Amino acid sequence: MTILILAYIDPGVGALLWQAIIAAFVGLLFYLKKTRRWIMGVFRKMFGRRQKPSAPVAEIPAKETMKAKSDVR
Amino acid sequence: MPQSAPSFRDPAGCCCSFNGRVLRCVAAVAVSELEKFLQTNCARQYIARKKFVSTRRLNENEAATLRESPELPPVFHAQPGGAVFEHERIPFPSYPHEWPPEMLWAAGRLTLELAQAALGDGFGLKDATPHNILFRGSEPVFIDALSFERRNPGDPIWLPEAQFVRTFLLPLLANRRWGLPLAEIFTTRRDGIEPEEVYRFCGPLEKFKPRMLSLVSIPAWLSRKTSPDDQKIYQPHLLANTEKARFILESLFQRLERTLDSLKPVAQKNSGWSDYMATHSYDDPAFAAKEKFVSEALREFKPARVLDAGANTGHFSALAAQAGAEVVAVDLDAACAGAIWRRAREQKLNILPLVVNLAHPSPALGWRNGECPAFLDRATGTFDGVLMLALIHHLLVTERIPLEEILRLAYELTHSLLVIEFIEPRDDMFRRLTRGREELHATLDTTMFEQACTPYFEIVRSLALPGTPRRMYCLKRKGGGN
Repeated sequence: MTILILAYIDPGVGALLWQAIIAAFVGLLFYLKKTRRWIMGVFRKMFGRRQKPSAPVAEIPAKETMKAKSDVR
Repeated sequence: MPQSAPSFRDPAGCCCSFNGRVLRCVAAVAVSELEKFLQTNCARQYIARKKFVSTRRLNENEAATLRESPELPPVFHAQPGGAVFEHERIPFPSYPHEWPPEMLWAAGRLTLELAQAALGDGFGLKDATPHNILFRGSEPVFIDALSFERRNPGDPIWLPEAQFVRTFLLPLLANRRWGLPLAEIFTTRRDGIEPEEVYRFCGPLEKFKPRMLSLVSIPAWLSRKTSPDDQKIYQPHLLANTEKARFILESLFQRLERTLDSLKPVAQKNSGWSDYMATHSYDDPAFAAKEKFVSEALREFKPARVLDAGANTGHFSALAAQAGAEVVAVDLDAACAGAIWRRAREQKLNILPLVVNLAHPSPALGWRNGECPAFLDRATGTFDGVLMLALIHHLLVTERIPLEEILRLAYELTHSLLVIEFIEPRDDMFRRLTRGREELHATLDTTMFEQACTPYFEIVRSLALPGTPRRMYCLKRKGGGN
């Protein structure tokens, strides 16, 4: 892929370094978020399946339950 | 008709105004990139929302016909493989040195919005200056189509961040913290203020406040510690993980957006003139008569473009906009222009408010004075109607402009209608301004005023405002339309 390098503006000195420092910290945050998401995913897999059989009654919204009842009638 | 000087800083192409058309000459290397960008969701959506200038490529025949014109800038001829694009014309170009802080803030918001939206389509914004933006009424429009380039997906750095800070955040900060007018910043500095300059303004404790630390102090300290010969910092540091690079950039844009929002200008309650509508010297019948007079003149002449000179909080600009005119409202007070901008946005009125002192209008700026034309060069002959309400005594007394000169300027600005309020020297406000120099205007009365109008205007009608020494005039330009 061709990338044009036509940036002609002054990137500054201190501001560019400061952006790079913040980027390094935010990069760490990226891995933390990713790890958290992975852990949450594992938990969801472990507990999500067990809860499934008892879940349907509570998960059906009230409106849909009413509609289903009226359809039966 | 001579063309205005082209923009030239971007090696990808340049833009110029030619015979009323806005043309952009694009270098061969950038043509396909621009076309691809114009096909992205981001560009399409923003063009549809009128926040990005609509753009089309001229076909070969159109471009060839255009190139036959000897007046076209040479750069349009010397672009093998290049192409010509045409943009829609924004009615009245205005520049950051004429904007109230509210408009600079809105321009900054649009810049960040677009930078984020383009990211989703794999493009990056390569410059972040308020000169990329013009205003259509009170709404910002991004005009520099060449500001977008395909980004390297592994690049976590946004090079124009420093420019965004210099040209949006620091001017807004300096304006808010020290009351530094934007005109003072942008008339002398095209590229905004450096953190080092702002650092010098800060007191010893202020340098450690969180916002100052991040925007001013740390960049200034880092800049001091870095050798000017160190080129390593400018080398791109690409990441193998493109998802991470995008996460870093999105987080940067969110951080800049939060900072920009924290600098959003607040309405100033008392700037000297911003409370004029509540404290002016008219009683209700006089004000109602003035309002009726202006409305009738607007109904009769139906001006498509109106200049409200000395607009104050924009009451009469709003009347003109409601009557269907495109209005440019100028006032020397930035708080007044800011109030007009808020009102125009809330009520969706077609008003472009600018901070311009008619007695000391914005000069031509930039390279060879050709990048930002002077206010009067843009305004002369542009308007079908001019309102000069409660203004003449400020020009006569405070600025010492002769009456004949004021009328001549009005003649040059309007094609047709001039609504002007004449104020006799015995008026309270007039006397307040003279400060003991009453003799200078002792001979000024309605007869003298009407005589001064004669070379330029026909008097359509006039009306004395009840209970005041003021008289409204509806004047028709001699040799004008309607």
